Amino acid sequence: MGKQIKWETSLTAARAKAKKVKKLILMDYYNNL
Amino acid sequence: MENNFIPLQIDFNKNKALVKRYAVKWTPTIIILDSDGEEHHRFVGYLPPEDFIGQILLGKGKAEFDLDHFEQAMQCFQEILVRFPLAEAAPEAQYYLGVSKYKASHDPKELKSGLEILQRDYPNSEWTKKAQVYSLIP
Repeated sequence: MGKQIKWETSLTAARAKAKKVKKLILMDYYNNL
Repeated sequence: MENNFIPLQIDFNKNKALVKRYAVKWTPTIIILDSDGEEHHRFVGYLPPEDFIGQILLGKGKAEFDLDHFEQAMQCFQEILVRFPLAEAAPEAQYYLGVSKYKASHDPKELKSGLEILQRDYPNSEWTKKAQVYSLIP
């Protein structure tokens, strides 16, 4: 089993975290049909 | 993935402002952003694992390239070429590897060397066409 991904759901929170840990953001748009 | 990125999931139907801001029209759409929210790469649709990872690495490399981190960019492009040489992202990675080497060294021969590898390994790629002009470099 792969490790469960902890997804952020807010761009603002993701940007703050990315700035703090000096990482890029992978933004995934999904659609529950 | 979390070693390299902050993963962010956006529900297409519930986040109209973000859908509009990044002009997303279809799902899945994956966008690589820096911490300022600037876009560096995107791809749309479901991909097999090697193409998916190739696109993710390409996005990381292009972001590092845009941020003038040429050594880090080169590492990403080289990883694609070593691990996934047949992936859709590979010719673009080869193109940007040559450009990154040039930006890091200011030696135009790196562009010509990049073209020669593209011609040898990806003769039918659009990226080989885009690099064709470097054949004029003496």
